Amino acid sequence: MANLELKDVSKVYGSGVSQLTALDHVNFSAHEGETVLIVGPSGSGKTTFLTIAGGLQTPSTGEVLINGNGYSSTNKHAQSDLRLHKIGFVLQAYNLVPFLTVAEQFELVDKVKQNNMSAERFEDVLDTLGIKDLLAKYPKELSGGQRQRVAIARALYADPEYILADEPTAALDTNRSLEVMSLFNQLAHKYQKAVIVVTHDQRLEAKADKVYQIIDGKMSLLSNNIE
Amino acid sequence: MFLAIKEIKHEKLRYALITGMIMLVSYLVFILSGLSSGLQTLNSAAIDTWGANAIVLNKDSQLILPQSVVAPTDVKRATAAGGAKLVQFGGLVKDSSGHKESVQTVGIDPNEFIYKDLKIETGKTITADNQVVVSDNLKVDGFKLGDTIKFANTDVSAKIVGFTKNANLNIAPVVYTTITTAQKITERPGVVNGVVFKDAKPDVSGLRTSQVYGIDEFVNALPGNSAQTMTFNFMIGFLMVIILIVITIFLYILTIQKLPNFGVLKAQGVATKYLVKNTLFQSFLIAVIGVGIAVILTTITAVILPAQVPIFISASYVAVTAVLIIVMSLLGSLIPIREIVKVDPYTMIGG
Ligand SMILES: Nc1ncnc2c1ncn2[C@@H]1O[C@H](COP(=O)(O)OP(=O)(O)O)[C@@H](O)[C@H]1O
Ligand SMILES: [Mg+2]
Repeated sequence: MANLELKDVSKVYGSGVSQLTALDHVNFSAHEGETVLIVGPSGSGKTTFLTIAGGLQTPSTGEVLINGNGYSSTNKHAQSDLRLHKIGFVLQAYNLVPFLTVAEQFELVDKVKQNNMSAERFEDVLDTLGIKDLLAKYPKELSGGQRQRVAIARALYADPEYILADEPTAALDTNRSLEVMSLFNQLAHKYQKAVIVVTHDQRLEAKADKVYQIIDGKMSLLSNNIE
Repeated sequence: MFLAIKEIKHEKLRYALITGMIMLVSYLVFILSGLSSGLQTLNSAAIDTWGANAIVLNKDSQLILPQSVVAPTDVKRATAAGGAKLVQFGGLVKDSSGHKESVQTVGIDPNEFIYKDLKIETGKTITADNQVVVSDNLKVDGFKLGDTIKFANTDVSAKIVGFTKNANLNIAPVVYTTITTAQKITERPGVVNGVVFKDAKPDVSGLRTSQVYGIDEFVNALPGNSAQTMTFNFMIGFLMVIILIVITIFLYILTIQKLPNFGVLKAQGVATKYLVKNTLFQSFLIAVIGVGIAVILTTITAVILPAQVPIFISASYVAVTAVLIIVMSLLGSLIPIREIVKVDPYTMIGG
């Protein structure tokens, strides 16, 4: 069973007086088929957590394990490769390449990686996300919500085991935010992905399987709707 | 090269501008080099047609043929070694209908190789004194076969019996005549200015007041020749540097604007190598297109320019320059590429 684990991970930025502990002995795990929400105020360490979990940064101490294998200690190239194959990032902004149409965003994935989603499953994803009619459009012709849904589809298209989303609803109103969160939930269950969402928006808690809270780099489990 | 091409298609104006820049500068380089070799041709084309590789000149002549007088004994030794005597001087010629032209008169000996190798385009070759074979440039000025021309400030006249191609020396058309006629015009019977050889290392020894020089050395010493070549080479060199700077600046600005996207693509696991390859390919593509259009424009220009404009486009020179410009463009993308390599996906995502 696919799982992503952080074991006693700390991240310290800077040194001396300007030293800042952004993550403080964090333990965490996410499994396929579940949505995990991490809620915390601005500056609490959410992005730091997500980038370490996704291999964009290395922890100061502790370890990140993907399917039981140490990840954070491998080299940059191997990490990039792992991101390509196992992880899909959905970010707050800049998710899409501005000069590619929606269809071409997916084509680009085909250019850099094999074994992407089959045509039928992809059709299904497009349906679920309601973006089938947008394939010929450029990102600037889309609304914020549409862009975010395309970004989610793009992350899913590479067929990763994990989806890491950093404040994916920051640009959306309440209804849209809840919709996107339900979508993540639905996708996690339907396609057996582990979806990890960090946000400062507590309204999303109801839509997650597991909710962690992060404050000043310390993480604690708030609720677990799985067992 | 998916990203590269899609981006160019989407940002047509931007890339058209860079391509246009490269095109214009390349065009300028080609035309300048065309003019440079065109002028060079005006200065020395006749020498090329002789097929000479060495020349005997007076040691004190500073390698200027009309300024040189080869001593009679030296002339004897040189001609014995297969040399061809030359008399050269500049002056005005007129025909009976009033056409006037400043020319370089070259006296040659009918027994020697320059005379024998002289290619006649129309008419026939010189068979007696007071006959001339002249540069076909004089046709444009109204001179005709059978005309009698008069050498200014003398009472010598001669009949045009033939025209020859590429006969230019010191930026003037050449009038070939017999060495005797030439000496009659200069009123210096027996005076020879120089002796040329096909052989690069002619077997002459015992020269007293003269010396054997290589023909390149002689051509370089033609009045104004090296100054001219250097001026053009400097301009061309500067243009090359400008191409490098323009490409670097353009690509740098474009790349900096795209860094957040590159950062996210890297976060998504797209290899840096892929992004770098696309950027290099873009530079290559715009350079090839820019240079390609410039080559076409240059060809058109060379065809439509009036014959009086001395322009000589050498295919091999254009090819070498084109490759050089393309290399410059690739070099110009190095700094932007460094930015792509440097961008840390984390910093593009944080916040
Ligand atoms: N590269 C960095 N260098 C120094 N401090 C950083 C860096 N990145 C983040 N921080 C600090 O670490 C803390 C957590 O940041 P971040 O993980 O971005 O929080 P969040 O995403 O929850 O707003 C903040 O105080 C922030 O200023
Ligand atoms: Mg953040």
